[in-house]
Amino acid sequence: MFPLQAIITLCVKFRIHPNVLTFIGVLINFAAAWCLALGHFVLGGFVMIVANIFDFIDGKVARELQMESAFGGFWDSVMDRFSDISLFIGLIYLYSTLGRTDYVMISAVAMMFAILTSYTRARAESLVEKCKVGFMERPERIVLFMIGAFTNRMAAVLWVIGILSIATVFDRIYYTWRELGHTKSRAAA
Amino acid sequence: MKKPESSPSPLTLPARAIWHALYWTYERATWQYDLMVIAILAFVWLTPPSWLGDPTAAGSGPIGWLIHLFR
Repeated sequence: MFPLQAIITLCVKFRIHPNVLTFIGVLINFAAAWCLALGHFVLGGFVMIVANIFDFIDGKVARELQMESAFGGFWDSVMDRFSDISLFIGLIYLYSTLGRTDYVMISAVAMMFAILTSYTRARAESLVEKCKVGFMERPERIVLFMIGAFTNRMAAVLWVIGILSIATVFDRIYYTWRELGHTKSRAAA
Repeated sequence: MKKPESSPSPLTLPARAIWHALYWTYERATWQYDLMVIAILAFVWLTPPSWLGDPTAAGSGPIGWLIHLFR
């Protein structure tokens, strides 16, 4: 992928710290959220693409500069939550200005379960080895937001994100419960 | 990651399909994942916005563009 490789090479040449790239990505996502809040979906979609380029390259730049660190992973993960939440807040603002409390609630519930999707996995993986069940993870969510923005079908996208995020959270709870039960019974045997 | 159990299940085929769609254990780049993506895109693009009371949707969307293209 030539354009991305060119951006990565440029960042490496100027020794831009990967954590700075992650932070720039979040700031651009705030701009995308602002576009969504004003109802400029197509522009918001393009801004989301730019933001996600930064999200994509930060890890690669870290590897090339040999700056990979545990803190970098933590920082990236926390910044991802800021990005996710800001997009939902943009939509909540939009629907509230349109007087649509039903979609304010749908966006809020979708946001709650989108955050819980990451939380349940992080917490589960402190107890069990791996907890990668459930369909609706961050890449799926981001692509769906873009599809909703570019084709002006954000309401349908919110329903999909909401319902599948709820399913994902319960998948992770059930998986962890089952795994911990197995571990307990294996230890007892 | 655990694969879906292959032992005989008391559930019927449709019930098993719904269970595996909700309790999702498949990786990306599997036919199950592709099928889920198709189902999601069909819902997003083919559901009339009025059914969902979409506050922002305008026009007939991607399905309308296709109909217009083939007319």
